[in-house]
Order: sequence, then structure tokens, then C-alpha cells
Amino acid sequence: MDRSRRNFCLGAGAATIGAATVAAMPAAAAPGAVPLRRDGDPAHRWAMVVDVGKCVGCQACTVACIMENDVPENSFRTIVSTYEVTEQGKAGSYMLPRLCNHCEEPPCIPVCPTGATFQRRDGIVVVDNTVCVGCAYCVQACPYDARFINHETQTADKCTFCVHRVEAGLLPACVETCVGGARIFGDLNDPDSAVSTLVRDENPKVLKPEQGTRPRVFYLGLDPRFQGKVDGTPTLWRPSGETHAKKEHA
Amino acid sequence: MDNHIVEVINVTREVAWLPWAVQYFFLIGLSVGGLLLSLPGYAFAREDWRALGRIALLVALTCGLAAPVALLSDLHQPGRFWHFYVVLRPTSWMWWGSVFIPFYVTGLLVYGWAGFREELQAHGQVDSRLAALYRLASLGGGRNDALIRAAGLFALAGALLVALYTGAEVAVVKARPLWHTPFLPIQFLMTALAGAAGLVLVLNRFAAGNDRAVEVRANRLLAGFLGGVMLAGALWLALGLFGLDSTHAEALGSVAGSEAWRVTAVWAVAATALPFAIAVAKPARTGLLTGLIALHGAWMFRWTVFIGGQTVPKTGAGFYDYALPAGPEGLLGIVGTAGLWLFLLIALTAILPSPRRPAPAPTRAAQAPAGPVAAAE
Repeated sequence: MDRSRRNFCLGAGAATIGAATVAAMPAAAAPGAVPLRRDGDPAHRWAMVVDVGKCVGCQACTVACIMENDVPENSFRTIVSTYEVTEQGKAGSYMLPRLCNHCEEPPCIPVCPTGATFQRRDGIVVVDNTVCVGCAYCVQACPYDARFINHETQTADKCTFCVHRVEAGLLPACVETCVGGARIFGDLNDPDSAVSTLVRDENPKVLKPEQGTRPRVFYLGLDPRFQGKVDGTPTLWRPSGETHAKKEHA
Repeated sequence: MDNHIVEVINVTREVAWLPWAVQYFFLIGLSVGGLLLSLPGYAFAREDWRALGRIALLVALTCGLAAPVALLSDLHQPGRFWHFYVVLRPTSWMWWGSVFIPFYVTGLLVYGWAGFREELQAHGQVDSRLAALYRLASLGGGRNDALIRAAGLFALAGALLVALYTGAEVAVVKARPLWHTPFLPIQFLMTALAGAAGLVLVLNRFAAGNDRAVEVRANRLLAGFLGGVMLAGALWLALGLFGLDSTHAEALGSVAGSEAWRVTAVWAVAATALPFAIAVAKPARTGLLTGLIALHGAWMFRWTVFIGGQTVPKTGAGFYDYALPAGPEGLLGIVGTAGLWLFLLIALTAILPSPRRPAPAPTRAAQAPAGPVAAAE
């Protein structure tokens, strides 16, 4: 029943076996398309489908990501943007989990002056924080506000699809913890994976398609009013000003 | 019926390009502008442009040396700056910048030395303990117009590349509609020229001979540059207002609803139109005022583009708040860069004091002591 979690390990294994028969990886192999890809297994193309209708806005994913990835205080690799929507006098909530879209055409990569940020051959966009100079050009170039400067490493930081977990055959922490099963993670190169099926059959949408980034985080039930910059009243809540407070781990 | 959206929870992304970046773009723009203004008098040896060119050369050198320090400070890992130089990243305008900046600054230093060599030689001929150092610095030569021209053209090539990359680096960021406009490089260049003319006017008053001819000429140049600034701004606005171009319409749309941005726009127009009107109507005895306003305008344009631009959320509703921090990531960065520039100006004008003009205006003649040229110390 829970495709996002229980079937993942099985699916990943099948994909690995199936990969031996895959002749070529479209993006990585296309001449001149993306010359900057390295590392990772080209047999996979990791992606996520977010079923907005199943998100209850509990922020468990937000917290799980912070704990898993040691994200500094007041910084977020993922968050569930939450809106109060009033229509004809009736108010309701709208939840939109946001994270790096691991785009097929990531605008953050060509701008990087040192090559610190790159796309693995399995599609995951990562930052080598031993190389990054913290120029923040990638932070500017990302149309999704998915990147930030980590003030503990003083380098660019972002969601990595929990690449360390994925390589160990586990799900990203946000997917693992999602109580509603709203986040579905898998391999687009495996035609039988849950994400492939959903992308093929459910016609999901992506954020800011006009940017031409070809995101690999898809949304089911995405209201067009939330597809780009949201036209509404901004939140009153802000992170505290104590940005560099020392973290204490339990 | 009442339909609206209230954002309840979202992340606020802090500005990632800090006031250091504003200072860098401001100073490097002034340097490029100063270099361009110095060329007629020095590289092309036009004697009537020489006095203005000397001040412009001071602008180019002081700003050009302070600017890279501000840029380095904007990196969150400044100690890793050498990472730029061990890779080939032609897809990144910032990487090109790391190539162009040393090229430009080297050219500028050689050109500055060639331009001031005549003065170094003169200081080497007075009876002073430092005379030997001046003679050493002049490498035993004096004015060499061919050398000045060659170095000037070399520095000009660097300046044009810097102007190109600084504009393109920001204009290619499609994620920020306000930046993603082909007008931005032109606006950077025009405001830089206006700022450089402004700084020439200010330095003419405080760090040079308060030359009336320089003031009038610089004010006329300033008026021309400000005219260009207004023209580029009007075109940008027209393209957005009339929906002729979707990029500009989007850029305008992202800020048009904000009262703060409207006030900023009115302020910017005033800070351009006012010195323009003064410089056209009364180019003499107004240089300090027009110069200061023009400098303010050039800085404010960059502040608005960078800090203001980053307060427009890419996905969230409304605008992010920005409060200038007092520390190195804010006010201290601005003050520190200004202090460095001032130090460079004091050092340079101490080493190379303004030459006394042979036949100044009668009112100035009384102040100019007769006798041999005093040594720098």
C-alpha cells in the first residue's frame, strides 16, 4: 500500500538489475547537453512526486531533514509552505512541500565559478562544500529559493535527496517520515517504479515550468496559484534574529 | 466575493550577496568610469583634458584597488579564492570575472604608473630624502605618451571586459526578473560613468586644485551621463509598463505593488533629474552638490538592485524584510570599504600631491606659494 516507503528497497534493487540493460542515459549521454555530470550511477534518475492532497502540513519532513542532515538553525533544506486560502468566504489550508527540484536543466550549476556544485549522473544536484567558495551565485540562480548559505560551513547548502541514504538503499529522510505518504521517491529510469507510473499516468505539474529548468520534483494536485511566486499576504512569522546560536543536540 | 491567500508558514531566505557586493559593484564601476574619463587627457594626450584626466585617474586607481577587497569579502569563504584559478568554468560569468579583474587591475596599475611617471620624475629632482625613491619609481624616465597610450588601451580593454562581465553576471540570473534584463549592463555602465564624474567633481574640490574648468567640464559630462541614465530607465519602464516585453513586465510587476519600491523609484528619479538640471543650468560652482548627488545615485542604484532585488521572494508571498546588520555582514562592510578607499586616496595624494598649475586663476594665485615644488613628505 505504501509505495513511497515499503516498496522502495525492492524497487531500487530491481532498478539496479534493470539498469544493466539500459543502453544510454538520455541527459548524460546527449552530446553537449550536460557536460558537467559526474559521480553517481547513471542507471538511475532519482525523482520525487509530491501528492499535495495527502500532505497534512505536520512539518515532520522539515524536522526529519534537519535532524538527518544537521541543517543549521533557521535554515531549511525542505519546508512545507502553508497557506490559508479564502474563497467566497470559506477558509481552508493549502500545503506545499518545497525542496530542491533536482532539475534536468539546473540553472544553479552553470553559474558556479568553481565547479563545487554539480549534478550526479543519477540526477541528484549536490555541493562539494570543500570546494565551494560561498559566492552564493547558485543561491541567486535557483528559481525555487531552494539554496542558502550554511553559516556553519559558510558554503552553499541544499537538499541532496539524502544522497547518503539513497546510496545505502534507503529513502530520503523526508519521505521516510511522511505520515501521509505525500512524498513518493523513486527512479524514473525504472518504468515500473511508483514515480514513473505517477508521472506517466497522473500528469503531475512542476513549479515554475516557464523557467525551463525541467524539475524532477513533480506535484499532484498543484493549484496553479502556487506554481510560481505566490500572490498573497506574506507570513508574519520570521526566524529569530539569533541566527548563529550554538546548536545543542540531545 | 472575498478571495485571498495568507501565507502562514514559509521560509525567509536572507540576502546572500551582502553589502560588500554593493560596495564592489559601486567601486569597480567608479573605477571603470574613472578610467574612461582619464583616457582623453592621458592616453590621447589632449592637454585640455589633462587636469580632469588626472583626477579621473585618481578615481580609477583608488576605486580599482579597493574594489577587489570588497569582492573578496563578499565570499563566505574568502580564503578559498584560489579555487577560481584552478578550474576552467566558461559557463560562469563570475569565473570570467576572476580572469578579467586581475587583467584590468594590472592594466590600470601600469597605466597609472605611466600616467604619473612624469610627476614621479619631477619629485625625484627636488632636494628631498625621498627623491631617490621617486627616481626609482619613475625607473629613470619621464612622460612617454606612446607608453601611456599603449597602457591606457590595455586598461581600456580590461575595463570594457569588467563592464561586460559585471552587467552580464547579474543580467543572466533568470530567477530574478528584476535582474534579468538586457538593460541592466547598460544601466550599470551609465550610472558608473555618472558616479565617476560625480567623484571627479568631489575630488576636484577636496583633493585637487578646485579647478573651475575641470568642474564645468565634469558637470557637462555628468549631465550627459545622467541623460543616458534617464533614457535607459525610461526605456526599461516603458517596456514593462506597456507590456511590450514580458521580462520587463514581470520585473515591474514584481515590485510595482510595493509602496517602498514606489518611493525608491521616485527618489531615484529625483536623484538623477536634480543633478542633471543643476549641471545643465549652472555647471560652475555647483560641482560639489551635483557630484555628491551623482555618487549617491550610483550607489543607491546598486543597493536597490542587489539588496532590494534579494528581498523579492522567488516563491513566497510579499517581500522579505531587510535590516542592515551592524557587523561585517552589513554596516561594517560598507564603512570598512569606504575607509579603505579613503586610505588609498590619502596615500596616493600624499605620494603624488596635486601639481601646482603655472598660471591659475587670479584668486588662486595668491594661495599658491612661489618657489620650488615641495616634496611629498
